[in-house]
Amino acid sequence: MNKQEILEQLAKAVVEGDKNSARENAQAAVDEGLDPLEAVDRGLSKGMAVVGANFESGESFLPELLMAADSFNAAMEILNPLIEANKQKISKLGTALLATVKGDMHNIGKNIVATVLETNGFEVVDIGIDQSTLNIIEAAQKHKADFIGLSSVMTTTMPYQKEVIETLSEMGLREKFFVLVGGGPVTQKWADEIGADGYGDTAVDAVGVAKKLLEKKG
Amino acid sequence: MFNMLDIYDRAVKGPIMSEKDFDMKVFLPNLKDVVKKYDIRYDKENPVPSDDAAADNLFEAGVEFLTRVGVYCQGTNRVMQFTEQEIRQVLKEAPGQCFPGKGKEAGVLGMRKPDESKYPWFHNGTGIAFSSEELMTNMIEGCATIAEINSISFPALEYIRGLPSVGGTPAEFLASIRSVNIGLQAIKRAGRPGLPVLNLISTAATAQSAIAASAPQFGCRPTDGWLCGTVAEFKLDFGVMTKIAYLKSSGCLVGAETAPILGGFCGGPDGTAVASTAYIIMGLVVHNANYQLHFPVHFRFSCTTTRDVIWVNSVSCQAASRNIPMPVIWDPYCAAGPNTKMFMYETAAYLLSVVPSGAPAFETSHPAKGVMVDGFTPMEARWNVEMGKAASKLKRAEANDLVKRLLQKYEPRIKNPPPGSRYQDCYDVITAKPIDAYIRLYNEVKAELTEMGIPLT
Repeated sequence: MNKQEILEQLAKAVVEGDKNSARENAQAAVDEGLDPLEAVDRGLSKGMAVVGANFESGESFLPELLMAADSFNAAMEILNPLIEANKQKISKLGTALLATVKGDMHNIGKNIVATVLETNGFEVVDIGIDQSTLNIIEAAQKHKADFIGLSSVMTTTMPYQKEVIETLSEMGLREKFFVLVGGGPVTQKWADEIGADGYGDTAVDAVGVAKKLLEKKG
Repeated sequence: MFNMLDIYDRAVKGPIMSEKDFDMKVFLPNLKDVVKKYDIRYDKENPVPSDDAAADNLFEAGVEFLTRVGVYCQGTNRVMQFTEQEIRQVLKEAPGQCFPGKGKEAGVLGMRKPDESKYPWFHNGTGIAFSSEELMTNMIEGCATIAEINSISFPALEYIRGLPSVGGTPAEFLASIRSVNIGLQAIKRAGRPGLPVLNLISTAATAQSAIAASAPQFGCRPTDGWLCGTVAEFKLDFGVMTKIAYLKSSGCLVGAETAPILGGFCGGPDGTAVASTAYIIMGLVVHNANYQLHFPVHFRFSCTTTRDVIWVNSVSCQAASRNIPMPVIWDPYCAAGPNTKMFMYETAAYLLSVVPSGAPAFETSHPAKGVMVDGFTPMEARWNVEMGKAASKLKRAEANDLVKRLLQKYEPRIKNPPPGSRYQDCYDVITAKPIDAYIRLYNEVKAELTEMGIPLT
C-alpha cells in the first residue's frame, strides 16, 4: 500500500467502526514510515469528520459515533508512542470537564455530548454522574479545563447547576471557566437566569456553542 | 413473578463489569445482532403498519434481547440476568390489569388489542412544573373536571416558601408533601376525591423523599400509582429498587417508567423498536410493576412525534398489546407548545399511531417537550380526550394514511417548533377559562381534521 492508500484505509476504518482494520492500518502507517501526525490528521480525523457530519445530519446515531471513536482510539494506541517519541503534540481545541450534577444518575445525554466534543477535537474529562459541586470545581482546576459542562435531567437537580456557578464566583474562579449547561428540562431561559455562558439544546448545539466561546476568547 | 429480593440477589451475584463495558460490549453488539437476526426494518412510508406477524416477530426479538443483555445494576456494577424460560413464565403469570382509584373513581386499567374499538384509559398528565401553587391548583382542578379522565398526574412543585426543592434536601421532602396536598385538594374541589394519581411523587427525585412523603399520613393512597424509573439504557440503581420494595410491601401500585432514546445507544428506529419492546417486558420481570409509563423519545428533538419515533411507538405498541400483559400508558411529548396548531397536529398523529395499535392507555401529551414551566392547560387535555376517542374508532390502516397526512403538516417544523403560550397567557387566571383566541384555534383545527376524515364528534 502506498501512503495515500494507507490514509484512505485509516479514514475508512473509522467510518466503518472497524477496530481491527484501524489497528492494522495504523501499523502499516508506522511500518511505511508515515509521519504519525499526518496519519491522524489526514487519515483518522478525516474519518471522524465524516462520521461527525453524518451524526449531525441525522444519518447515523450514537452507536456509529461510539464505534468510530473506539476505532480511532485503537489506532491511536499504535500511533501515540511514536508521536510521544517524536515529541510531537496533537492540537486540541480546548479541554471540557463534564459531569452530571449531584443527585442525578442520568448519563446518556452527557455521554453523547462527550463523544461529539471528542470527535470535534476537544479533550474531554468526564467525571461521571452524581457529582458534588466541589468535586466538579476541583476536577476542573486539576485538569485545567476551559469548559465545565453540567448535565441535569430533573427539575429537582437543576439548582445544582446554579450552585456550581455561584460557588465558582464565591471562590473567585468564575472567570477561569466557561460553564455550559444542558439536560432534558434545561432551557436557554434557565441558562440565562443562572448566568451560564452557554446552553445546548442538543449535543451538536453544545459543540457549536463551545467553539463560539473559544473564538470569542481568542 | 420475581419479588425485589429475587432481583437484588441477581444484582449481587450477576457478572461484574464496568458501565462502559455493559454499553459497548453487551448492549450495542447484541442489539445490532438481534435487529439483524429478526430482520427488523424501519418502514418510513408506513408509520402505522398493520402486520400482526411483524408485531409478534418484534416481541420475540424483545424477549431474546432481554435474555442476552439483562439489566445493569449501578449499585453493584453487576448485570442482573434472566433466562428465556424465566421471562416467559413471568409473562404467563402477569395479570394484565390493575385497579387504580377509590370509590366511584375506581377503575380497571387493562389491555386492548390492535384495531379494537374500546376506549383506552385516559390518563391526564398535567405538565411538568408550575411556578405557583395557585396556577397548579387551577390546572389540576380544570383537568379533573373533564369527565372522561380516568386518572391524573400532579406536576412537580419547584419551590417551597421561595426555596428551590433541590433533590436530596429537606426542601425536596417538604415540597413533595406539599405537592401531594395541593393536588389532592384540587381533585376534591373538582368533585373527584377518589381519582387515582398515577405519577407519585413527581416532586421527589430521590427515593428517600419519595418513600418518606408516601407515608399515609401525608395523603397518598395505595390506589394511587408511583413511578419507578430506569436509567437509559437498561440500568437501575438501588434507590429505585428500594422504592419498589417499599411500595410493594405497602400494597401500592408500582408504575415502571421507561424511555428508550432513539439515536442514543439504541441507534436508529430498528434498534429502538427492539429496546422499546424489551423495556415493556422488563417492567414486568424486574419492576414487577402493575402498569408502565413508556415514552420512546428522539435524542435530538426531545419529542415523541417525529416520523421515526411514531413508527417505533406503533410497532412496539402492537408487539406489546398482542403479547405482553402489561397495561402500558403511552406518553407523548410534542415539540410545539400549548395554543398552537402544531401541538394539535402532533397530538393527533401520536394518538393515531398508538390507540389503533392497541395502546391500553395514554397520557395527555406534554406540550413544548415538557420543559416549559406553566406550559400546560386543560384545553390540551380536552384535545387529547377528543382525539383519543376518535382514534379508537379507526383501524391501523386508516390511521396510517391519516398520520402520513398529519406528518406533512408539522414535520418540516419539528426542528423549530412554535413555543406556544403559558397557562397565564392563554387562560383567564381568575375564571380559569381559556381565552377566546385559543377556543377559536381549537375549533378551527378540529374542523380541519374532521374534514380530513378523523371521526371527531
